[in-house]
Amino acid sequence: MEHLSYPDVVQYAVPGFVALILAEFLWIAWSGRGGRYETRDAVTSLLMGAGNVAIGIALGFVTWKFFMMLWRLTPLNLGHSWWVVALCFVLDDLRYYWVHRIGHRVRWVWASHVNHHSSQHYNLTTALRQTWTYTFTFMMVVRAPLILLGFHPAMVLFVGGLNLIYQFWIHTEAIGRLPRWVEAVMNTPSHHRAHHGRNPRYLDCNYAGVFIVWDKMFGTFVPEQDDDRVDYGLVHNIGSFNPLRVAFHEWVALFRDVLRPGLSLRQRLGYAFGPPGYSHDGSRDTSDRIKARHLARHPEDAGTPGFDPAVPRSK
Amino acid sequence: MSLTVLIGLVVAGIALIALLLHLTGRSRRRSLDQDSARGEWLRHFPGDDIREIVVSNDGHAAILLTDEGPGLLWAFGADTVGRRLQDFDLIEDGDSLLVQFHDFATPSVRLTLDDFEKTHWTNLMEPM
Repeated sequence: MEHLSYPDVVQYAVPGFVALILAEFLWIAWSGRGGRYETRDAVTSLLMGAGNVAIGIALGFVTWKFFMMLWRLTPLNLGHSWWVVALCFVLDDLRYYWVHRIGHRVRWVWASHVNHHSSQHYNLTTALRQTWTYTFTFMMVVRAPLILLGFHPAMVLFVGGLNLIYQFWIHTEAIGRLPRWVEAVMNTPSHHRAHHGRNPRYLDCNYAGVFIVWDKMFGTFVPEQDDDRVDYGLVHNIGSFNPLRVAFHEWVALFRDVLRPGLSLRQRLGYAFGPPGYSHDGSRDTSDRIKARHLARHPEDAGTPGFDPAVPRSK
Repeated sequence: MSLTVLIGLVVAGIALIALLLHLTGRSRRRSLDQDSARGEWLRHFPGDDIREIVVSNDGHAAILLTDEGPGLLWAFGADTVGRRLQDFDLIEDGDSLLVQFHDFATPSVRLTLDDFEKTHWTNLMEPM
């Protein structure tokens, strides 16, 4: 089963992506609700998506060679029956949860993922605002256990593609809330809107790809609140539509920080692998500190979703 | 799917969406007044105490004097971006003022100002 192959589902989904973006825009234009579109923002997102596919074609061999090396090492082979594919999909979604969570908590990985959050809009083009630098995060190692357990690399990449396609349609304001059982189990537009929020309440929540149950299991679930409308984008929004700046701005900032003169090794490591917002002199705010500052201004929010029960002392 | 077909689909899709958005007025820049400038600044910098707001005559930028020092807010497509005026260069360029931020993510912004505004804003942008 060395040569098992699956279609590249993401490439086949491209016409569907374009059609659904047009449908969402026409719905917004016709109904006057359900989101916003802006030309340069949308074009930037689409170019980021195109660049992501191009980088995937150019650098995909790195991940593939690594996975095939693992595949040759493992004595396990689960085959390719439908239930193995289904199990692989679920376990890969668990993998996605942790990679995504690391992507928000470790600056080295955030430098790659930040571009996905860099739009102040939230529509189907935002879904395509994808990283160009994922390979350099080395997060492909998080998939190693799946391959060592006997899931073929082609299957692992196939279910990863399905996961990505699922996440496309949840990047919309055109869909409110879905039936309760769907919201309880699946990642939905409502849950993912909260994930894209820069409001203190929504920082570092709802990392799920397909199944929101992972967030509920690991304590990172925050439901979208009707009285705290999601404000999309970054805590410090960027001021450029240039895809090169969008793709690389956090890497540039990271290396500038790491190479600053006069820092200890521990401080340099903090700038590279600490949480976004780490600073050696406390001049910047991590998400924990942003939440604490918010609670100092709004103690009435303590204990509500996304906030600790206790109001911290002002820092 | 062949690479040629994929590239054709992507290029045609992006062009079609861009054209549709532009022709339906989605390229308009955000306009600001005193209230919206205040609201937008507090969205970017929630804890600030704003003392004075000066909106440009074209409505696409504002200077805010805050307890943390002066800040610049400007239209970024349909949205806004705000920056504290702490590390920047000012370059006069015809009927505009170019503000360079020494920041890879937000390299510069070009402000369209009349002659009086240019002098006034240059004074306001001095760090405290």
